[in-house]
Amino acid sequence: MIVAEQKPIDEIKEMAAPYRKLLVLGCGTCVQTCFAGGEEEVATLVSTLRLAAKVDGRDIEVEGLTVERQCEDEFIQEAAESIARNEAVLSLACGAGVQAIARRFYHTPILPGVNTTFIGVLEKQGLFTEECLGCGNCELATFNGICPIARCAKKLLNGPCGGSRDGKCEINPETDCAWQLIYDRSKALGKLDNLKAYRPARSWQASSAGGPRRLVREDHII
Amino acid sequence: MLKLTLFHCINAIDEMSDPTVNNAEVRTVKLPCSSMVKDLVLLRAFEAGSDAVIVLTCPEGQCRHTDGNIRARKRVERVKKALDSIGLDGRRLLFFNVAPGGSGITEILHQALSELKELGPSPITTAHHVPAR
Amino acid sequence: MNPEPVSRLEQILKQGEFAVTAECGPPRGANADVIREKGELLKGFVDAVNVTDNQTAIVRMSSIAACVHLEQMGLEPVMQMVTRDRNRIALQSDILGAYSLGIRNILCLSGDHQTFGSQPEAMNVFDIDSMNLLHMVRTMGSEGTDMSGFELDEAPHMFIGAVANPFADPFEYRVIRLAKKIEAGAEFIQTQCVYNTERFKEWLRMAREQGLTEQVHILAGITPLKSANATRYMATKVAGMDIPDDIIKRIAGVPKSQAAAEGIKLCLETIQELRELEGIHGIHIMAIESEDKVGEIVEEAGLLPRPVVEV
Repeated sequence: MIVAEQKPIDEIKEMAAPYRKLLVLGCGTCVQTCFAGGEEEVATLVSTLRLAAKVDGRDIEVEGLTVERQCEDEFIQEAAESIARNEAVLSLACGAGVQAIARRFYHTPILPGVNTTFIGVLEKQGLFTEECLGCGNCELATFNGICPIARCAKKLLNGPCGGSRDGKCEINPETDCAWQLIYDRSKALGKLDNLKAYRPARSWQASSAGGPRRLVREDHII
Repeated sequence: MLKLTLFHCINAIDEMSDPTVNNAEVRTVKLPCSSMVKDLVLLRAFEAGSDAVIVLTCPEGQCRHTDGNIRARKRVERVKKALDSIGLDGRRLLFFNVAPGGSGITEILHQALSELKELGPSPITTAHHVPAR
Repeated sequence: MNPEPVSRLEQILKQGEFAVTAECGPPRGANADVIREKGELLKGFVDAVNVTDNQTAIVRMSSIAACVHLEQMGLEPVMQMVTRDRNRIALQSDILGAYSLGIRNILCLSGDHQTFGSQPEAMNVFDIDSMNLLHMVRTMGSEGTDMSGFELDEAPHMFIGAVANPFADPFEYRVIRLAKKIEAGAEFIQTQCVYNTERFKEWLRMAREQGLTEQVHILAGITPLKSANATRYMATKVAGMDIPDDIIKRIAGVPKSQAAAEGIKLCLETIQELRELEGIHGIHIMAIESEDKVGEIVEEAGLLPRPVVEV
């Protein structure tokens, strides 16, 4: 999923300050799964903003609505009426969703209510970890299921570096050294010899370094 | 008269009427488990005009649903922070473990009220209305 | 390996001499005198001087510039190059520039992560890793082409070095990685500073068993300990450092004013021990901000005079 974290309330308040009628728009997919912007978070934020307005003695009407996904027109359109009757939208979707709303509702100010961070998994209760950088050229087979692009702080292809200690990365004692993981898994799979091969420099052309990407599926265009 | 909303789990306290303690109006809300104090529920109590909200749970390790009281504590901690950020003062949200059976409720209420003394009524009930810009 | 040594350091090692290199950190400013002063302290005591590349991700005068200042005063620099701050285009460009300015030794590293440095907000690069960098420098020198296969008007033949850390994990994999570095192009190795001689000997034994000590010149790292606090800091806070407890106790066990002297004593003992190991072809003294101690160490270790060679 795409992992995001709700922005601090102070920041949200400041962004929303110019508006008297605000729609808090949630998304029922990724941000719901990471407790940042789903239905429950929308209701909580609406209540918080209303309370905040009362404390500050300000006039603001806050409405809340959650759609299945904010990255698809089919679901975005369900919010059309609510968006039309509000001055601005505080979207709790990831950056893609926020921009999709902005595109389709061109004349309504859209505010981002979460900080979108990474593509990741729920490692265990309460812990989300980054797993994929969307490099565009997946080599997880080469590295036996652990990605050094996303999970090695130095993106080493021929790791580990000299800072790997007790299976942890030099930059954070809580972060696993991806290369220790690759080493362990390669050993477990009997594929340690794989790691002896020199990995040449990667092409980053398929990654975001090559510019904003587009995927065209001709087979889906009627 | 201060308005208090008191959430409690049915296992912590069997029966509870609406006690009036020291010029405070206490409204009780019975829940199957204290973990049901979702953020929204607590915030709505403040929206409805409560000057303070109290959450009573069973002691840790004694929750009938294993960790409901821990979830309740985490929710309360989160909402306290939210209340602080918006200027409503997180101290208006209180959390207590009670021995099963409910003995000591009156003492808890007294303690809560003395903590709330300096806070006074909620600013939203006394706020001066400012027209929107 | 180059058919003819391209640097004095290479020549010295090729002759079978026990080499001595030291390290020099460029200043945090534009004042070349700082590097020249350090150079003066090292002149005559070492065969070559490593110049670090924004070490610990702290902004300093560039390695290439500092190398040129040293070169101009008659010292032979080893230009360190990290892949943290520059992409392949900039790295290749700097190698060409460095060679054109007379630099002939290069040490290829990934580099400390920028979160350790003075500007952790910076974007890092890591377009390629140190292994790719070794390969790149080797190809540019021996084949005369850049990474796109373009034929360079002049090939930059460098004496190529890499680092090895026998004290990092996973231990069993370190020698495999050393072999990879040699295959990628490493001709000399400078190791992380040695305090845990037992572990170092074990690593060296494994390297010897694989025939690696005959394929590459290994220079063991040496850093004199200065104080009990500094020792404890290094032991716990510096990545990739292994300082056994008995060493910490030794430094902490003498009066504060004698700690530095004890550190030098330990240094000399370690050098003696390392000199006797088969496969160790030299030492690399990293006396950060204590370049004045290098001469003393080299002299007391009986490593003077340094050989004079021409290339």
